[in-house]
This record gives sequence, C-alpha cells and structure tokens, in this order.
Amino acid sequence: MDINLISAQIKEELDKIVSCDQLEALRLKYLGRKGVIAELTGSIPAVNPQERGAFGKAVNALKQQLFVSLEEKQRSLGVSKAPAPESAETDLGMPGIAQELGHKHPITGIIDQVCGIFSQMGFKVLEGPEIETEHNNFTGLNIPLEHPSRDAFDTFYLKDYEKLLLRSHTSPMQVRAMAKSKPPLAIVVPGRVYRPDAVDASHLFMFHQIEGLMVDQGVKFSDLKGVLEVFVKAVFGKDVAMRFRPHFFPFTEPSVEVDISCIICKGKGCSVCGRKGWLEILGAGLVHPNVFQQAGYDAKKFSGFAFGMGVERIAMLKYGINDIRLFFENDLRFLKQF
Amino acid sequence: MIVTYNWLQDFVDIRLSPEQLADKLTLAGLEVVSCKHIGGDVVFEIEITSNRPDWLSVYGVAREVAAITGEKLKLGDRCSVLGTRAKHPAPSTKNLITIQDKKDCPYYSYRIIRNLQIKPSAADIARRLELANLRSVNCVVDLTNYLLFETGQPMHAFDLDKLSLEQGIIVRRATQKEKLVTIDGIERQLNPDILVIADNLKPLAIAGVMGGKDTEVTSATKNILLETAVFDSILVRRMRQKLALQSEAAYRFERGVDLAATPRVSLECASLIAKCSNGKLAEFKESGSKKIADRYVTLETDLVNRALGIQITAKECKSILTALGFTVKNKSASLQVKIPSFRQDVKKEVDLIEEVARIYGFDRILSSLPKISPQQASVLDLTAYLKEILFALGLNETITYSLIDKASLTKLKINLTPVEIRNPLSKEQEILRPTILTGLLNCVAHNLNQKQNQISLFEIAKIFHADDRANPVEQPVLGIALCGERTLLLDQGVVKDVFGLLHMKGILETVFSRLGIKGFAITPLTVSKDEFIIQAGAQELGRVFLPADAQLDAFEIKNKKVFLAQLDLTKLFSLAQMEKKFLPAAKYPQITRDMSFIVKDDLAVSRILEAISALGQPLENVKIVDYYRGKQIPKGFRALTISCIYRSNQRTLTEEDVSSIQEKAVRLLVDSFGVKMR
Repeated sequence: MDINLISAQIKEELDKIVSCDQLEALRLKYLGRKGVIAELTGSIPAVNPQERGAFGKAVNALKQQLFVSLEEKQRSLGVSKAPAPESAETDLGMPGIAQELGHKHPITGIIDQVCGIFSQMGFKVLEGPEIETEHNNFTGLNIPLEHPSRDAFDTFYLKDYEKLLLRSHTSPMQVRAMAKSKPPLAIVVPGRVYRPDAVDASHLFMFHQIEGLMVDQGVKFSDLKGVLEVFVKAVFGKDVAMRFRPHFFPFTEPSVEVDISCIICKGKGCSVCGRKGWLEILGAGLVHPNVFQQAGYDAKKFSGFAFGMGVERIAMLKYGINDIRLFFENDLRFLKQF
Repeated sequence: MIVTYNWLQDFVDIRLSPEQLADKLTLAGLEVVSCKHIGGDVVFEIEITSNRPDWLSVYGVAREVAAITGEKLKLGDRCSVLGTRAKHPAPSTKNLITIQDKKDCPYYSYRIIRNLQIKPSAADIARRLELANLRSVNCVVDLTNYLLFETGQPMHAFDLDKLSLEQGIIVRRATQKEKLVTIDGIERQLNPDILVIADNLKPLAIAGVMGGKDTEVTSATKNILLETAVFDSILVRRMRQKLALQSEAAYRFERGVDLAATPRVSLECASLIAKCSNGKLAEFKESGSKKIADRYVTLETDLVNRALGIQITAKECKSILTALGFTVKNKSASLQVKIPSFRQDVKKEVDLIEEVARIYGFDRILSSLPKISPQQASVLDLTAYLKEILFALGLNETITYSLIDKASLTKLKINLTPVEIRNPLSKEQEILRPTILTGLLNCVAHNLNQKQNQISLFEIAKIFHADDRANPVEQPVLGIALCGERTLLLDQGVVKDVFGLLHMKGILETVFSRLGIKGFAITPLTVSKDEFIIQAGAQELGRVFLPADAQLDAFEIKNKKVFLAQLDLTKLFSLAQMEKKFLPAAKYPQITRDMSFIVKDDLAVSRILEAISALGQPLENVKIVDYYRGKQIPKGFRALTISCIYRSNQRTLTEEDVSSIQEKAVRLLVDSFGVKMR
C-alpha cells in the first residue's frame, strides 16, 4: 500500500466532510480497530527487514498526522464531541465520581458572610445565652417594663424561673458586653431570638438576628452610616442605594431604620417592596445615654452606635425565598441549593 | 394613624403633591405605609412610633408638615372646617367630681349640654370620619370622634338622663363583683385593677378605654355629659391588656395625651356639639390639676455636630426646633430649649439632637469610617471548624426549633425535666428542648416523606436543662442523624451503601481525630441494646441512639432504621488539641504481610487486633484490610484479611526479621482465636 496515496486520499475525504457524523465515520474507517491504520500496522511484520523501519515510521507519522487533521477538522466544525465509548477508555458521559459534600444552612451562610464583613472591619464576633434576664432584655436597654414600646418585644417567659425569659432580640448582648469590658468595644453578635408571634409566611416564633455595637470616644452617626454602607454593598452589591428613616428604639437615640433600594425591581416598585421601591433591612442608632449609664459607662466621654438585623429577612431577600418556614423545614431539596 | 390631605390643609398650606408629601413624611420618621386617592381626597396611613403620641392627631401631623416644608402652622379654630367655637360659662360648683386616686386620673372634667336634638352629622364631617374608617353615628358621637382624630384628645359623651348624679361623677377602682356591658355589647367582669367612671349606683364606663352600653348617646338623648379627662398611661395599658380590649381612646391614653390641651379641646367639642344640635351649654366642672411644670433642656450646637458628624449652626438648630413647637433662647452656640407640653418624649439633649437630625435629613449626613482599635483576637472558632469537617463528610446542616411540645419527649421515651414556657401560643412551644434528637427526627420524617433516600443531617445548637432549680442550663450540642443509603455509581457499577452504625462511627471517629482528641471509643450501654456511649478515654461525651420501631413510628417513620447521635460540645471542645507537631516520615521502608482467615462471627475483631498489636516491635501497625461474609463462607463465620506492617527505625528490615514474628502472629490467631487460615 502506498502511504502517500492514502495520505492524499484522507486529505480529499476530509475536505468533503461537513458534519460530525461524517467525521466520526472517517475516524472509524482509518483509526477504528479494523481501520486502515490498524491494517497498515498489522502489515509491518510482513515488510522486508530493510524497509521495515522506514515503513513503520511512515505509518506512525500518518497516524499522528491523522490525529492532528481530525482534531483540526473537529474544531472547524465547531462542535466538540465526547469520544465514543468503544474506542475510549472512559465514557465521559457517565456521572463523575466524587465524595458528596454536605451543605451549609442558608441562615449559617448569611451569618458567616455578615459576621465576616464586620470581622474584617475589626469587629469581634461574640455569642450570648438564649435564656436572659428581664434586666438584660429590657431595663438595661432603657425599655420600661410597662410601656407601649414593649409591644414590639412580646416575649416568652419561663415557668418556674422568676424573671427569666427567652431573649426577644440579640440586644441583651450589648448589656453583657458592656458589663464585661470597658471601651473601646466593637462587636457583632449572631444568634437565635424568640417571640410569641402567630406563624405565617413572614413570622415565626423563633428566628435569627445579628447585633452590632461599637463604643469609643468620638464615635458619631456618620461612622454608623459608613460602616453600614460597607456592609450593604458587600452583601447586596455596589449599586444598591441606602436610606435612613428616623425611627424609635428605646436603646438608641437618634434611632433609624435602614432601607436599601429594592434589589428585585431596582427601586421602581414591585410586590416584594410593596410598590415602595425600598426594602427595610435593619434598625440602628446611636447608643442611648441611659444605656451607657446603666452599664456604668461615662456617657459624656464615650459615644457609640448599635444596629440589629433579621437574618431570615436578609436571606429571603438575597435568595428570593418567600416563606420563612422553609428555613426550618430542612427539606434536603431546599438545603442542597445553598 | 390615618390623616387625609384635605384635613391637613385645614392647618397648613401644602404645596407638595400627596406622593411627595408621603416621601417627606416617611423620611422624617412618620412612615407612610399607604397613600390612596379616594373621591377628591388622599388618605395617608401612617405608622407612628410609640414615643410620639403627639403624631396621633391631624393637628400633630400638620405641625410636622409645617416644619418639614417651612410653612406656617395655621392656629385657631377659624382654620378648621368646623367653624368658630363658643365660650363656655365658668366652672360651676353644683355637681361634684370625686377622684379616688389622683395617680389614676390626674385631671377630670365634664360639660353638660342640655335640650339638644340628635341629628346626623354634616356631610363633610361624616365623609372624613369614613375616610378614617369610622362609622358616622350622629352629630354628638361623631364630633367626639372627629376631635379625637383632629386633636388626639379622647372624649366620651354620656346620656345625662341615664346617670344618677346625686353624688356626682366618681372615678374609682371597680369592685370584684361589678360588671359592665360596654358599647360593643360585651359584658365585662370588672375587678379592682380596672378604673371605672361611676355614678352613685353603678360603673358607667371603663376609664379611658370604652363607655357603657346603658349610658350611650342614642337618637332619643336630650341632655349629655361630655367627659374630657386624662388617665394614667400604665393603668390604661394594663386594663387594655387584661380586658383584651383595644380602642382609639386607649391607644392614645396608653401613649400619653397632652394635658395642657385638654381643657381647650373639651370646650371646642362642647360648643360644637351645642351648635350642631341646637343644645345649650350648661354646667362645667373640673377636678385635678392641668398645670404642667415647664421643662428646659440645654442643647450645645457643638454636641449636635460631634454626635452626627455634620456642621450645623446654632441658628439652623434654633429654626428647626422652633418650627417643631419648641421655644428656643440662645446665647452663642448654647440653646435653652423649652419643651412644649405635647413633647413628653423629649427628656435629654440627645432627644433634641434627634429632632435636629430628622429635619436636617439623615441623607445629608456624609458617611465616614470609624477608627476601630484592634481587639483581642478570638480563639479559633471550633464550631466553624467542626462544621467544615461535617460538610466534608457529606452531612447537611439543619436548623430546628428550640421550642418543642412535651409529647415529643414521650414519643422518644426521653425522661428529662425540661424548662417550661409560661406563655406558649401553641403546644409546639411548650418547652425548651432537653435533647436535639426530636428536631432531627422530624427532619428525617419530612425528608422521607419527600422521597429522599439519602438522609444525612446534623445540627449544632443549644439544648436546655432544668436540673438546677435556680438556673436553667444551656448546653451546646452536636446532633447527627443518618437514614437510608448512599448510592455510589462507581466504575465497577452501582454500590448501595446502606447507612449503619459503622457510618456513625466513621463520622465520630473523623471528628475526634480532626480535633486531635485521643482515645475515641464507642461502646454499647449495658442496659440497652439501642444506645451506645461515645467516649474519649474514660470520659463520656455523648450517645448514639438507634430508636426502636415503635419510637420511630411515633414520628411517622416507617420501615426505616435511623441512627442518631448527640455530643456535648463543651466537653468535646475542651478536649480538642489543635496544636500540631511535625513528625518526620519514617526513614526505613516497611514490610507488609497480609493474613487471610475465617473466624467465628461472634468474635470481636478488636480483640484480635489488640492481641496481635501486643507482639510489639518491629510490628508497627495492624489493620483490617478486607472483610467478607457470604456464599463461600460457612454460616456463622466471616472472612477477614489483616495487614501487619513491620518497620524498624534503625535499619531496613529483611525477610528473616519479619518471618519469625509473622509466624507467631499466625500461631496466635490459630491457637487463641481458633481461626482457620485461608
């Protein structure tokens, strides 16, 4: 057989090829188990010894050339195709083999992300008890026990334990942190909180909050704005706008609620933001002097800010989850998406 | 709180569109939650924070609108659609008011209007009440409601002819036996915690909350007694909660009404009622003090700037505060601010700073970043590390409720004293869980129901114990649940890997090893076949549980095995040894010898491994490398392959070095354990 002739023939046939199937047919004709190249290779021992070496080399060169041509042709056809199983060692169409990893709960994911952002800014992450005293949950935070401001903090009380309750917010950790250490102080506190709320798609009797507190000399409202801006841009993206609405919390003065421009409709107004174009994401303010006084801090010398956010709320906005109960159902089809 | 655009215009000229006004109000702290155009007017629904009772009136909101927009607040009755108001005769002495405790009721007054004709209200009044979601009743009742919305002062009109006023009006606590049917038609059982308005025979009204049905104004009423009073806010709050009875009046008393404005509003209301019903103003009586001490707070402009991070002048501060109704005197940068009676919420300098900030605009405060001093670094977060290990082991993180029902403990036959909740809303919130297992079992049940067949879950959370009668204990734990099987599609085909006790062991073993905890063991509990102790040396760190079918059935898990574990994280982390010390790789090569044999099923492999390990140097390690039970092996037996690894740390071992000890090992197996070598 004349190798040059075969080579020319291949070139001619290759030029006519317009589809992957044709290319595969050509590949089988020449490179298949009973293909032309195999036949040539099989004929090597029959060649006389003087010419055998040269012939072998030529066959090999032809084979290499063929590989290159096929690959070029395949690229020019613009489609890559997994090699057919009978000719390859592994069928790459089969599922890959790997150790399946477990999934982090989306609430943990948000807590890790948010606390990570504040950690980078120098805040320390702390955790606190879920069973609290009336003092830490209310009076230490300037919330009178009998006042309409308590309505926002309906609380589970423990039976058999006088004045103990399930914390209704993470703010009691402000009281604990200030009792434990002197300023400067910069902390974030994630954790579970409890309120006897009727259960529906947006309310549950247990949820998560992240509390933040910073106390030092000369801390001012513009600092709170700056720190929250870093947080919002890191979690929701650089293009998100922010606004501060005056609000009332007994433990901060001035107090604000912070809105971000709706991440769904970009501020145009949709069902998620109630046509307002804004989404409320957290409450904040400068620490009330009465809170400092209770903590034994000199309110003339120190100032500070505090903020608190609902983790489920942030997760729902970020991931487009419309029912808070999904977080606690722990359906694997839900968990495995995070 | 509901106000309308036209109603506000009675008191302030508004040059903004309703939508622009809504935005301005929201950014000043009066969050407009809806803004609806209804028949020529615009209805704003505003969320008022509990510290601002002065905003619970059209007049109060108008004052804010004036401050925001720089308009003048229109004062006086001429501005109102209600028209001008009459003068009332001076207080008479004829009837009495007896206030049992001035703390409950600091001020009480009434005005009597005689010979009136009950008529429907004028159309514009009825219309505005309707927009505020109030039903128009008649001109008397409507005017009390109208002025409640306009001024924030609740008032109540009694049918005078149904009262026995021989001893006048008595403001007192109810007795245990008294009852009162309120205007809503419900009979209320009273008690000494309830303050009532009474005549000499009976309670007439629940003070500050709701009037009585018997004495309400009807179309037949000829003479009325119009009550205007101030009641203690905490008392009203308690009554409202005890009676589970909310009303517009209680809502305002609970937050505090402006005592200074009360007499004026009372006169306005009485004269308007007289006018619309052709009645005649008769006796007026008041008791208690309407005097409020003047209060002053000093505001340093410098502090405003330091607290907010802005540059504002004393003049600007003054003009903001003046617009809001404060009276301000200033010498240089220090402002002497007189607090108006309707601003009981303003007590400190910071409260004034907030007022300045609100009107100045938080959006105008530029962001800055604080200098944060480096804190003492937190110790390595072992919980996060533990979670990473568990994820790598294929376990999915769950979060389940800390509050559960008592019955779920019974279901699992758990006999622990839980911490109970005094005020649960449902039985699912009866107790704080003393175990993490019930939550995990619920997750397993849910996922089985969703046809999931590979369920491997964990939760890290607190459980709670009531063992200590003085203080309940919070204990962080790790819970693990395994159920179903892993399907591995390997090169050699499908392998179904059914979860069993050894999977749980493998997970725990890995956790212990990664945390550097020595002496891991898992041993059956002698009293129960379904429970195992997880130990580090002699210390118990937790348990593994195999719930019985009946227990699983109670959680609606049928025909499945579930493997559970609960570990005490405080103990686990206290043993963690995260410091690493590098050991160089062995210098000399190892020699490996495998032994395959058949052994009785009931012989624990750990005994064999221990016995061989005891042979000592140069034996470095013994491990099981293969295991088989099936066709070629007689029943009651299993085939094992054990690998012995020999190594010296002084030289390269030879075949001869190994063969004698290997022979010993074989003899040991045959003689001591009766194995049959293969």
